[in-house]
Amino acid sequence: MMRGTRVTIIAGAAGALSACNAHQSTLAPFGADAADIRHLFLVMLAGAVVIAAGVALLMRHAVRAPEDRLTHHQGMRLVLWLGGVIPTVVLLGLLVWSLPYMKPRPLGPADLQIAIEGEQFWWRVTYRPPGAAAVESANEVRIPVGRTVAFRLTAADVVHSFWIPGLAGKMDMIPGRTNTLVVRADKAGRYRGQCAEFCGLSHALMALDVVAMEPAAFDAWLAAERRPATATGQGAALFAANGCNACHTIRRAGQAGAIGPDLTHFGSRQTLAAGILPMTTANVAGFIRHPEKTKPGVRMPAFPQLTHGEATAIARYLQGLQ
Amino acid sequence: MRRWLKRAQSLRVTLWTLIVPPTTWAAHFLFSYLWAAVSCARLGMWARFPTAFVIGTVLALLVIVAAGVIAWQQARTPGTPAPHDSGTEIDRLRFVAYATLLLSALSFVAVVFTAMPVIVLSDCR
Amino acid sequence: MSLHAQDDPQLRLEQEERLRAVWKPPSGWFFRWTDVNNNRIGVWYTLTAFGFMLFAGVLALIMRTQLAVPDNDLVSANTFNQLFTLHGSMMMFLFAVPMFEAVSIILLPQLLGARDLPFPRLSAFGYWSFLIGGVFVSGSIFFNAAPDGGWFMYPPLTTRTDLSGLGADIWMLGLSFIEVSSVAAAVELIVGVLKCRPPGMRLNLMPLYAWYILVVAVMILFAFPPLIAGDLLFEMERLLGWPFFDAAKGGDPLLWQHLFWIFGHPEVYIVFLPSIALFAMLIPTFAQRHLLGYPWIVLAAVGTAFLSFGLWVHHMFATGLPKISLAFFSAASEAVAIPTGVQIFAFIATLWAGKVKWSVPLLYASGSLAIFVIGGLTGVMVAIAPFDWQAHDTYFIVAHLHYVLIGGTLLPLFGGLYYYWPLITGKKLSDRLGRIAFWIMFVGVNLTFFPMHLSGLEGMPRRVFTYPADLNIGWFNLASTLGSYMFATGVAVLVVDLALSPTRKKAARNPWNAGTLEWLAHPDDEDWGIRSVPLIESRYPIWDQPGFVAKVDEGRFFLPDAEEGRRETIITSVLDAKPVSVIRLGTPSVKPMMTAVALGAVFILTTYHLYLLAAASGVVTLACVLWWLWDTAEIPEKPEKPIGHGIELPLYLSGPAAPGWWAMFITMMADATAFSGLVFGYYFYWTIHPDFGAGFDGPGTYWPMVALALSLISWAVTVGAREWHSRGGVQPARLLLIAGAAAAIASLFVGLRCLDGLDPKANVYPAIVWVLVIWTIVHAAVAAIMQLYTLARSLARRMTPSHDADLRNITVYQHFFALTALVAYLTVGLFPEAGL
Repeated sequence: MMRGTRVTIIAGAAGALSACNAHQSTLAPFGADAADIRHLFLVMLAGAVVIAAGVALLMRHAVRAPEDRLTHHQGMRLVLWLGGVIPTVVLLGLLVWSLPYMKPRPLGPADLQIAIEGEQFWWRVTYRPPGAAAVESANEVRIPVGRTVAFRLTAADVVHSFWIPGLAGKMDMIPGRTNTLVVRADKAGRYRGQCAEFCGLSHALMALDVVAMEPAAFDAWLAAERRPATATGQGAALFAANGCNACHTIRRAGQAGAIGPDLTHFGSRQTLAAGILPMTTANVAGFIRHPEKTKPGVRMPAFPQLTHGEATAIARYLQGLQ
Repeated sequence: MRRWLKRAQSLRVTLWTLIVPPTTWAAHFLFSYLWAAVSCARLGMWARFPTAFVIGTVLALLVIVAAGVIAWQQARTPGTPAPHDSGTEIDRLRFVAYATLLLSALSFVAVVFTAMPVIVLSDCR
Repeated sequence: MSLHAQDDPQLRLEQEERLRAVWKPPSGWFFRWTDVNNNRIGVWYTLTAFGFMLFAGVLALIMRTQLAVPDNDLVSANTFNQLFTLHGSMMMFLFAVPMFEAVSIILLPQLLGARDLPFPRLSAFGYWSFLIGGVFVSGSIFFNAAPDGGWFMYPPLTTRTDLSGLGADIWMLGLSFIEVSSVAAAVELIVGVLKCRPPGMRLNLMPLYAWYILVVAVMILFAFPPLIAGDLLFEMERLLGWPFFDAAKGGDPLLWQHLFWIFGHPEVYIVFLPSIALFAMLIPTFAQRHLLGYPWIVLAAVGTAFLSFGLWVHHMFATGLPKISLAFFSAASEAVAIPTGVQIFAFIATLWAGKVKWSVPLLYASGSLAIFVIGGLTGVMVAIAPFDWQAHDTYFIVAHLHYVLIGGTLLPLFGGLYYYWPLITGKKLSDRLGRIAFWIMFVGVNLTFFPMHLSGLEGMPRRVFTYPADLNIGWFNLASTLGSYMFATGVAVLVVDLALSPTRKKAARNPWNAGTLEWLAHPDDEDWGIRSVPLIESRYPIWDQPGFVAKVDEGRFFLPDAEEGRRETIITSVLDAKPVSVIRLGTPSVKPMMTAVALGAVFILTTYHLYLLAAASGVVTLACVLWWLWDTAEIPEKPEKPIGHGIELPLYLSGPAAPGWWAMFITMMADATAFSGLVFGYYFYWTIHPDFGAGFDGPGTYWPMVALALSLISWAVTVGAREWHSRGGVQPARLLLIAGAAAAIASLFVGLRCLDGLDPKANVYPAIVWVLVIWTIVHAAVAAIMQLYTLARSLARRMTPSHDADLRNITVYQHFFALTALVAYLTVGLFPEAGL
């Protein structure tokens, strides 16, 4: 009863705390796994508070106790029970209770798979719905609420770590290995994830937009995402003339570079440069001319030769790719 | 049985016998890790009934218990009451034996801890 | 000499005069640095480590300033990455571990009533290596060339030369050099504890500090070598392109993570246990009673040491290893909390049972215990794998590890500083400043690190140079920054206290009324360490043995004189500390310093790819080592000498009773551990590649077996030489040594033959075969050098059948060499044939 109350109080405090940051917090879960882990944490926290307080009080008492209040025999009993037996029982209980939380969510053949590859300093995202062709995207992950989704995680260059705190724990992306993280979102909304393993100069600037959608909306969105881009205009010509398509794909004939992020539906994304800048025309134009100013160590070359007007035209074109 | 316990008292104890129980834990831990690595990474499957693991664990626990029983006998060598902290040969023997006994207890617990995952998780994923 | 001979004050004065002359430190602006006395080396060591700590602390302050507000641009990403890499690396490699060794070098001889440690020159070598390596690594930040891959240096970010610069080499080679010196110190401390105790100090009477030192030094022996093996593979990839961590060619970045954390987790306990050891010394003093549960503390130390080697994968919970493997490490990580709890409750029980005398050192001890308990509890949380999947690599971990390291290493050290300052300088530090510093630091630590738990849970990853405002973690970070400045202020107060110390007057001897041996130290300290080596009958001899201090001071115990004008100390047996012999200790010399400089040059020149110069320095290093060794194991002018009370002890030892034999044995344990790290690499690749080695011709079976046979011949004839020599067959032994050296050299060339047609750059399989074979043939070369060295000793009449320490020591090496050759050649030659 006591413990239950305490957990509630702490959960309340944690809830109040996370009200200020609902999109990248382990304490404000929108996925089933993150919710489980939060539960695990709150129970352990309650235990830790009790133990810490108990030890502190005991220490205080020990220091103040007059001499010989404790005989040698009693002292040894204290060490045996408080130092040996009780911790052993508590830790064994914690271990046995927590182990089932390690079991991964079961995965069926009909479940959506999303391949994500970490690269310095962005995410290549490929949706692999069962029984349909793959859909390429970048720097934004959309998942259906209530359905099991498996992320297949790889790394192209160095070790990264895929972490969406509100959804589930993190999983490393290691060159040469494919790791699987199976999740289920329970609440629709816009969230954020971030690379959690130090991956070089702009490690701090490798974030990810996450959108959890109602299943029907998700299916409609994926169908739209599958279609090629439609926008045209002066920017499209400049995009091609400056060789942007050597690295970036915009799914239309002849634009098949695969070095940088896929831009086919760039305009529908919330943010620019892997979750770093708001998607405004000025930001896009600025990034095109000097990407290294936003992201040190970025592999995209700078285009200082573009005039402000040209860069803005390209930016408008890209934003038109809905 | 009693004769064996008596005989245990006269075994020589050293710093090496002190570390028998934790070394057994370490060997068992290494064994568990390799067993999992080979059966999951190399063979890619989980033996239905992990016989090898059970045998290894029981063996480790037996060694630790044996070390503990011997140490317990030696720590009970009769003499002055506790605390045994004087500079006599018998107190040194008692000390090493008692420390070995405590290490046996800790190692036993640690082996049991190590075995828990196999019981609870029971697959490779 | 009887008890009453020492009644004569004139005799005592003459003895003191002789001791003073023998232990006189060298003078002169250069030669004073050639000193080897533990009093001085230990103090240099401590001050240097303290200096590195302050430097690394300043780096942390710059980081905290950068992170004070969101989207800050005080320092660039590039600088920030260097800052956190160097902060972590320096605190671990240049502060925590060396500080433990430094303090132990000062304290251990005092605690054991020895005149000095068994190998004073080795301590000096360790110090100079540490200084050179430390300045090299930390100075790199002034050239914008500091390592920037994190203190864990995960490849491929750090091994790809297009993604990382010189900093990675500086880290790898500079710190490898320091690891070597740490292993050297471990050898010194282990032999010191096992063999240099005063007569009567049986295992059950050893001060607990000595127990902890023994345990920690043994941990260093098994923890550092895997990292050295990893460093070797790492540099082979960086400098030569051997693809150990390159997935495209069969390598695996995870192997580095395994090797690093096999080192990295025990490392945490290596820096934590010595601080607990300080508690175990000061708590009985301030409780004014024996520590309760002595065997329990020993249990805790030994148990922690073992369990700490089963935790490393908890740093890799998110790497996607099979859940069952993760769970084993989760279980062990829970279990390790048990011995830690035992220690804490033994201390609490002691304070409870005793009459507590409140004091500044005790204030630090209890404050750090409080902080440590919080760090320990969050440690139990992150040991639970699912929670760690969230907490891993976030500020929650930063908070956890700083609570553990500040509560478990730094504040206890400060407590130890206040406690032991009178022992080292003869003066007490200020109670007032000590308390002020403590409270500022205590509040500062909590203000800095408590909010980090929250910023981590709110989604702030580690090692980010900035964070966006809309994460709403700005307030937590601002609090952390303010706290860090507060903590720095506390440290500054403490430094002021230390700086004021020379102006204060001397304190009384043993000012805290402690019961243990080290408090025999006199405020006007003499360089001889202890006036006479006492007979120990209790754990707290100053409290329990009547007239103890006077008897020591009046030279009424053992070895009160230095008749032959030599530095000496007593060697005793391991279990019961029965006196075994008197050994002569090394005197001040330039050799340790020169060896350190030459070896340092090998590492530093390799960093800059100056391979020829590096090789030349290697030859100089070898020459220095041989020159150094030539004076050791000297044949004494008489077989025995009296140490008082009618006891005569031999002046020469060989075989397992001798400190030199133990040093060789212990060093080779470390060597074998490093080798097993490489062998682990081979079988690791085998488990992850179903077709490991397929498509390569491999070394075949023939040449490896020939090389193995030759190696075993070298071993067998050395054992034969030892036996024949001890029976008086000097000539046959010499011939056998020549034959052994020839076999070792032949095995070297045959070993090279195994590598024909294997291109180590092509794939990880040939690369790992190369490394195993090269490791073995380098050992063959060393075996041959040792055999020829022993031959030279015999020819120079520095080794005779009754004085054969050299031959017995190299036989120990040969045992390990034979084992290495057996494992290496069976692995590369026969294992592929097994068809598994």
